Amino acid sequence: MMAYRIFAIFSSIIADALHRKLFYSVFLFAGAMAAAIPFLPSYGQGVVEAVFREVALALIYVFAMVVTIAYTSTRLPSEIERRTLYPLLARGVGRGEYLLGTWLGISAVVGLTLFAIAAVTLAIGWINYDVLMWRVLLGVFAIWLEASVIAAVGIAVATVAGPVIVAAIALTFLFVGHVRSLLVDPGTLFYTLYPSLDTFNVINPVAHGDGYSAAYAATMVAVWLAYSAIALLVAASLFERKDL
Amino acid sequence: MTSAISQDADTSVVTLNDTSTSASSLQGGEFALLVEGAYKSYRNGSAVREVVNDISIYVRPGTIHGLLGPNGAGKTTTIKMLLGLVRPQAGRFEILGYEAAPEVRRYAGFLPEQPYFSPHLTANQVLRVIGRTLKMPKAQLEAQADKLLSKVGLEHRGKDRLSSYSRGMLQRFGIAQALLGDPKVLILDEPASGLDPVGQRDVRDLIKGLRDEGITVLLSSHQLSEVEAVCDEVTIVNRGRVAAKGDIEDLLKVAGQVLVTAEGDASHLPERVVAIAADIGNDGSRWLISIPEGSTRAIVDALDDGGFRVISLVPRRESLEEYFSRLIAGSNGVS
Repeated sequence: MMAYRIFAIFSSIIADALHRKLFYSVFLFAGAMAAAIPFLPSYGQGVVEAVFREVALALIYVFAMVVTIAYTSTRLPSEIERRTLYPLLARGVGRGEYLLGTWLGISAVVGLTLFAIAAVTLAIGWINYDVLMWRVLLGVFAIWLEASVIAAVGIAVATVAGPVIVAAIALTFLFVGHVRSLLVDPGTLFYTLYPSLDTFNVINPVAHGDGYSAAYAATMVAVWLAYSAIALLVAASLFERKDL
Repeated sequence: MTSAISQDADTSVVTLNDTSTSASSLQGGEFALLVEGAYKSYRNGSAVREVVNDISIYVRPGTIHGLLGPNGAGKTTTIKMLLGLVRPQAGRFEILGYEAAPEVRRYAGFLPEQPYFSPHLTANQVLRVIGRTLKMPKAQLEAQADKLLSKVGLEHRGKDRLSSYSRGMLQRFGIAQALLGDPKVLILDEPASGLDPVGQRDVRDLIKGLRDEGITVLLSSHQLSEVEAVCDEVTIVNRGRVAAKGDIEDLLKVAGQVLVTAEGDASHLPERVVAIAADIGNDGSRWLISIPEGSTRAIVDALDDGGFRVISLVPRRESLEEYFSRLIAGSNGVS
């Protein structure tokens, strides 16, 4: 693994994404939606800012997943189909390096999108309620970590499947990842091993409470690292065997 | 630069100690490119389809080597195995005398068939990405990018998005990206595909120029005239196997036949010539007569007696197209 090759792939993903209309369309649409939140019916004195934060985070979450799945499901399959990765792999870029660079690039693009949407949301909140709701950024960080995990899972699937299947499996994983408490009894081994994404669900404490602690942030990062690493190892293993 | 690449003679394991090594410092082996005993099959249900079956290609340094064959012959799969894009099931693959590991493949430029690049990026951006993967210093990369775009006739188009490029321009850009980083060997898969006749001629001249600069070229092509015009040696594959290989002039020579070119005003050749000749062609006042090697003296005398003037006597040579058609028909069992 050579960092300069990974960085080259990473930077090409960002350059490519910044030239796509999807990036700006999502940003504009999300901004418009956030701007519309204050026009919803009155929530009652004292809870209006909390409801704004909750709805804004829910919107950001939806847009994050749309952007992540859109990029992940199309990026690798189109690179394989159009053979745009041939000149890179033929000249010594390892397949693992290519996947890692792609994942980092998609994660960075999603991060940029989320940061831009969050900035607009904070500005709208500040204009409407005269309060800088910085805690929204804590929620955005958690959403970004979850999106990054979804990107890793999507990349693993994309090594062997086309865009529709990648999108379907990524959405399924997203759904399954949030229903552990409905499907599995706590205290069982399966509960522990279940690929839960609930760790990243911090909308409630961020919107209605004081956010989360540094220790909890460290836990989220650890879960993010573990899930992403597993997904990328599976991706590398599948991709190494693939005839292009 | 010393010991840029170390190699265990027994295991052919290559270790690259300095990734900034230039291609020119590599000491190649006997062959710039070597494919030996390549094998690849695909399973379709219970049937096994052998796509490449014991193909060997030996490309000498500083030559242009043609890889010919009909569609589905196994040319592209063989190249892909050499470049690590397809996993071989058997075979030995070497670049510049070293096992074709990723660290060594960076010294081989590659133009895929019908190259395609991200349409959202500009030519300069794509070259920058490839250059970065080769660890090229920024200043060198910028200078070489301009030079290469100019070399393929795309000067002043570096800032244009590739979505605005025509098929021919993409093809030429593909050649430019393959040349980035001063590769010692170049593997071109159908380089003239999609180009107009002038573009094809430019590519032929470019390939010849690269050979003059000491670059070894493996040229896979369907265009026989292109191969005949530029290649020193060829390997012809059919149905996953090597059908013929060698020096192109040797292959095209018709054994035991001499081609006599003669001029004369008479409308018919002398009877003695017609009786001996294997093949006769007439181009106005000029006659092209193919004869057995042993009857040269008798034919020259007969032509002289009949008032014809002998212009040349050369060993008979087929066109590559004739040779290729005959070879493929023969190996397919067509008489």
